[in-house]
Amino acid sequence: MTPGSPTDERRSIRGATLRRAGLLVAGAVFVLWAVATLTFFAIRLIPGDPAQAILGGPGSQASQEALDQVRRDYGLDQPLIAQYFAMLGRLLTGDLGVSYALKLPVADLLGAQLGGTLLLAALALMLAWILALGLAIWSTGRGRVASALGEGVEITAAALPHFWLAAVLIAVFSVGLGWLPPVATGTLAGFVLPVVTLAVPLAGFLAQVMRESLLDAMQQPFVVSARARGESALGVRARHTIRHASLPAISLSGWALGWLLSGAVVVETIFAMPGLGRTLLQAVTLRDIPVVTGVVLLVALVYVLMTVLTDLAARIADPRLRQEAGR
Amino acid sequence: MRAAPVTTSPTPRRIGIAAVAVVSTIALTACQAPAPEASGEPVSGGTLAYASGDAEPTCLDPHVGGNYPQALLAGQFLESLVSRDDSGEIIPWLAESWTAADDGLSWEFTLRDDVAFTDGTPLDAEAVKANVEHLKDPATQSSTGYLALGKVDRVEVVDEQVARFVMSSPDSALLESLTQPWVAIESPAGLARGMDENCQAPIGTGPFIVDEWVKQDHVSLVRNDDYTSPPADAAHDGPAYLEAIDWRFVPDSASRYAALQAGQVDVIDNPQPDTISAAKSNDSLAWLDAPRPGAANRIELNSGQAPFDDERVREAFIRAVEVDEGIDALFFGTAERSFSPLSSVEALAYSDEALFEPDLDRANALLDEAGWTERDADGYRVKDGARLTLRFPVSTNQSIPAEQSLFEQVQATAKAAGFDVVIELLDLSSWYGALAEHEYEIVSAPYTKVGPDVLRILYHSDSITPAPSGYFANLAQLDDPEVDSLLTDAASTSDADTRADLYERAQQLILEGYYLLPLYDQQNSFLLSTSVQGARAMPTVSTPTFYDAWLAD
Repeated sequence: MTPGSPTDERRSIRGATLRRAGLLVAGAVFVLWAVATLTFFAIRLIPGDPAQAILGGPGSQASQEALDQVRRDYGLDQPLIAQYFAMLGRLLTGDLGVSYALKLPVADLLGAQLGGTLLLAALALMLAWILALGLAIWSTGRGRVASALGEGVEITAAALPHFWLAAVLIAVFSVGLGWLPPVATGTLAGFVLPVVTLAVPLAGFLAQVMRESLLDAMQQPFVVSARARGESALGVRARHTIRHASLPAISLSGWALGWLLSGAVVVETIFAMPGLGRTLLQAVTLRDIPVVTGVVLLVALVYVLMTVLTDLAARIADPRLRQEAGR
Repeated sequence: MRAAPVTTSPTPRRIGIAAVAVVSTIALTACQAPAPEASGEPVSGGTLAYASGDAEPTCLDPHVGGNYPQALLAGQFLESLVSRDDSGEIIPWLAESWTAADDGLSWEFTLRDDVAFTDGTPLDAEAVKANVEHLKDPATQSSTGYLALGKVDRVEVVDEQVARFVMSSPDSALLESLTQPWVAIESPAGLARGMDENCQAPIGTGPFIVDEWVKQDHVSLVRNDDYTSPPADAAHDGPAYLEAIDWRFVPDSASRYAALQAGQVDVIDNPQPDTISAAKSNDSLAWLDAPRPGAANRIELNSGQAPFDDERVREAFIRAVEVDEGIDALFFGTAERSFSPLSSVEALAYSDEALFEPDLDRANALLDEAGWTERDADGYRVKDGARLTLRFPVSTNQSIPAEQSLFEQVQATAKAAGFDVVIELLDLSSWYGALAEHEYEIVSAPYTKVGPDVLRILYHSDSITPAPSGYFANLAQLDDPEVDSLLTDAASTSDADTRADLYERAQQLILEGYYLLPLYDQQNSFLLSTSVQGARAMPTVSTPTFYDAWLAD
């Protein structure tokens, strides 16, 4: 970095940040376009006539007139490429279309379901972080037994399939102990089991990553000097090494959210919660193309936003990244 | 009427309407048994929580499309002109009496004069006319109800309470068709709101009213305090005992059962056979067994193309496969083997067990005779270089896991005779696609309809002609002029004995031609907490009704 006046430096950082923001926006738009395009063509590769989906689903006994009418109304009689550009045009104006099956605007449908799924994913992510941090801090630097135990728990947790974990949790906490409802009915208690189901495997992944970097950080000179200053082992871990340990986990959180959203399909179905996952499942079954496209786009958008946010969070956690921006 | 064409969770199946009842000991398992014996006096009040594993409807108006999930819900708030009792007799409901003209070309229904829809609109002949017109209007996109009224040309208003159905040809199945929830009578003012609004909360005359529908979560039903029109076989008069029903959509069958065990819900549908078996030994749960009317579940043999265009090969397949043990083991004794094309619910069902006696030697002899004499290295029969392959598309939406396992046993036992059964698990759209392209030699497709007229839909050669969507109901592709004429005559005769005789002869011909392998009734059952008293399944399409139900402590 060339030394300059503080104002110059700030200006150049601002310029770099703007450039970076511009790149991010361009990248996001590209990702969304690619996702919309892939979804549009992929969904037409699976069997099923959209006109039938509109007229009561697979196996409908709609008349030829009704089918023709629907094909005209929805532009399904147009060449595929024309339909594609028509869709892009609609998307550009923010119009996600109307559900074939429910005949309601896709934006309204998704709007009603987004909150629940995001809340579920956010709570699960938070719990996963807490569990992972706790496990990593507890099991690192305490000798071989604790380390092996911690590793074992992490690997096991990470390998647990959602459907299995959900079944076990329901059997124990709903049927056995009767503490928590197996079907989420919008109450706080109903959220517990779904959140735990999603959080535990993720915590396993995160803890594995955190332990690696925690171990790495413990070897650093600053740890030795802090210890020399008289800080306790736990104090060092809590105050100094966690930052290091969190970095890769923060970057992973963007990925984790996407992973949680796909886990939501299973969890929302098992616990009968309304949400995007169930919406997607139903829409695929019914060949409800506008809804499928809408959900996929929305998830892609969340993904992109999370990538930006984790990028920012990493900068806050690691001052070195901030410096680089000015270079 | 097609059964539940859109079902994201496994469709249930089960035999002999049984109402397993009440505080632990009394279990009625008679076919079409009445409501569970009530213990104690009915009490008013309370909300019943129901967890449904059937797909959430996309529209609550069963006129639109017309599938089983819609019927399940509609039965709580809509009512039909007539109903059917446990013995199969047609009984009064919204219509108190009816007469048919001698030529069968018109029917007059006299409506009750003390009934109003829950929006205050009176039930009159004009309302019935509006409903039939709504069902026949292509814009309604009715499929099941539209077919049920296929021979109804129009409805004329004779006077305020008398509606005349003018027929395009006589229809002996008209009354049976009219019992179905897919042709239930809705408020004309409600229909006039347009499809979008009516789909959210149809207005009927039923014991409950749709209060709210939260998509992917639940439908709230509240009691209709002015209710006056129970069907003639109901246990009481006046409003329902229950104050409300909380109807939840819980697609996962294990979660549904857990919710029932944990007391979070009072009733669940679509229990899997292993669950029913477990519930039977639980004193606080009762099993309501309500097989669907219409066709039995069966494997159809596609006689429209090789190799099953040869009757010897069809018989060889049926003699080769063994399903009895599989049904017993996989369904935990909850399903009874059928030997009829019709559900055991149907009084006119005809069975012939002897035709389905497994006989591997006979199967082998028949195949040799039909020219399938050679076997390839894998043990499958070959003729002119082609293997004896049977494509078997299976709908994962309509066949529960137990049924899919049964089909694997069919595959294994058929192999002994040299059949190469290729099972393909498909989602509903792909499955219909395979059928439309005739890419199957064997297939199993449920079909729910009240009355034996389902035989005409499934086995009359007219049903080979596909609808514009490619759908056709005669999947055996049975094309026999004698069967056609028996079914046509049966559908138009007005004499009950003649009708019974014609249907019996038609069923004989269908069974003796080895076009199908009956398995069991279309399974349909419910598990109830024993605190739910007085619930029963309608003897029409076996949907549960909670009008007579109450919650005991």
